Amino acid sequence: MLEARNLYSYYGKSVVLQDLNFDLEPGSMLAVLGRNGVGKTTLLRTIMGLTDRTKGDLFFSGEPLGDRRTDERAMMGIGYVPQGREVVPRFTVAENLKMGTFARKDGKRAIPDKVFDLFPILKEFSERRGGDLSGGQQQQLAIGRALAMNPKMLLLDEPTEGIQPNIVQEIEEVIQTLNVEHGLTIVLVEQNIDFARRACDRFLVMDKGQVVVSGRGEDLNDEIANKHLTF
Amino acid sequence: MDSAIFFNQLFAGLSTASILLMIAAGLAIIYGSMGVINLAHGEFVMLGAYATWALQTFFGLGMLISLPLVFVAIGAVGWLIEKGIVSRLYNRPLDTILATWGVGIVLQQAITLGIGSQSRFVQRPEIFDGNLFFGDLVISNYRLFILGVSLGMLLVTYLLLTRTEFGTKLRAVIQNREISECYGIRAERVYGLTFAYGAALAGIAGALVTPLISTTPTMGTTLVVDAFLVVIVGGVGSLVGTALASGLIGEASAMLSMIFNDTTGRILLLVAIILLIRFRPTGLIPQTVRG
Ligand SMILES: Nc1ncnc2c1ncn2[C@@H]1O[C@H](COP(=O)(O)OP(=O)(O)O)[C@@H](O)[C@H]1O
Ligand SMILES: [Mg+2]
Repeated sequence: MLEARNLYSYYGKSVVLQDLNFDLEPGSMLAVLGRNGVGKTTLLRTIMGLTDRTKGDLFFSGEPLGDRRTDERAMMGIGYVPQGREVVPRFTVAENLKMGTFARKDGKRAIPDKVFDLFPILKEFSERRGGDLSGGQQQQLAIGRALAMNPKMLLLDEPTEGIQPNIVQEIEEVIQTLNVEHGLTIVLVEQNIDFARRACDRFLVMDKGQVVVSGRGEDLNDEIANKHLTF
Repeated sequence: MDSAIFFNQLFAGLSTASILLMIAAGLAIIYGSMGVINLAHGEFVMLGAYATWALQTFFGLGMLISLPLVFVAIGAVGWLIEKGIVSRLYNRPLDTILATWGVGIVLQQAITLGIGSQSRFVQRPEIFDGNLFFGDLVISNYRLFILGVSLGMLLVTYLLLTRTEFGTKLRAVIQNREISECYGIRAERVYGLTFAYGAALAGIAGALVTPLISTTPTMGTTLVVDAFLVVIVGGVGSLVGTALASGLIGEASAMLSMIFNDTTGRILLLVAIILLIRFRPTGLIPQTVRG
């Protein structure tokens, strides 16, 4: 579904990702781990085409992404939930969700029922402004917005960062549901190692813009955590 | 002072205001969407006027038929300028100011060279000849028509921004370009069309004003200065503020010019605006929720 071959990514002249190689099977979940500043967000932004320049190859569903504009990648079915959520503040919840549908290939503008099944609160708050929601509600809205486009693959950047604990669990459950029951392919950037181990099929640990360890979810042991993920 | 003169002036001010409103709405939409201070805007007004003149002179088309054609033609000019020049300069505000200023000069010179600098005149539509009389009050049918078209265009603009998918996309891009692109919105296209729409509004204003003032290559300059004042006074990003401000400025300039003379009137108007900006730097109706 997603393949990176000798992938480099740059901001201006500085190289942020170096020589990444990985594969993501359809329907699987990949956890991307690593300390702050190692390039996890940049990896997702590179997949969306939001960095200044890339080198090497990136394929989505067998198609090269290299020269595609960001909006074209979205139309190909990549849903992006960025770090910090980036809900549109002066849009209502309903408008934020509608915005998600702009990336649908079929041109439909109805919000899929599953969005409200997973996040009933979005129906209740549909006329509130995105900027007025709590952090946890904004995260639900950001995920809902990505689901509104019926994505083939979902990129989630630290979806539980800075969110009240009761909602963290809810969001983790939704992520697992999406992956297991809906068969959605997911790339998850995560700080919570326990959740990554429980939920993901494969993981990769990054350091200084490179992949230092990768493997199957259940192999994500304490040794790796201590070596690459603690401070 | 005679009250009939006062009210006649008041109404003349209102129709001037409504033309200003269209020019200012175009400026404000372009500035509010892409942060571009479009110094070529006055030339879009001028081109709209010349297009109307040309359609009348060479093709015998009346103004009513010309209006939609002018809208499309000046919109296309705006679109081309955005694609060719402005789009290359986003994130470089100073450069866009200089570039659009240069475009304005080129357009002015092109018209001067091609058509000449002498004044041109356009007939107003015959059905709007004549006046309405209310006692001593004389209202020109044509000015009433201008008022109607301008308010209509303002309503269309409002609906376009708030009720259409294009409007939603534009508002999304204004607030967060990157995330908009991540949801399939082609920001460059939205920008191009928005610029074109702002230019088209200016073109319509130019077409409407032709029967009232003589059409010359420099006619846009004065109008656009007033339109800039409207935008500053009204508060960027607020159609209501723009409407209020064009009313105020149109009226104030009509009234002050009547009481004093044109020059003194303008100086007093500027002083009033400077005072207003001093006390309400964000305009009459500022955006209340931050983006
Ligand atoms: N827009 C940018 N321009 C230049 N450098 C950046 C930009 N964004 C991130 N970086 C740099 O790239 C590196 C990786 O950042 P990031 O991908 O945000 O890390 P993470 O998400 O793992 O915390 C950091 O050194 C950061 O300073
Ligand atoms: Mg990050």
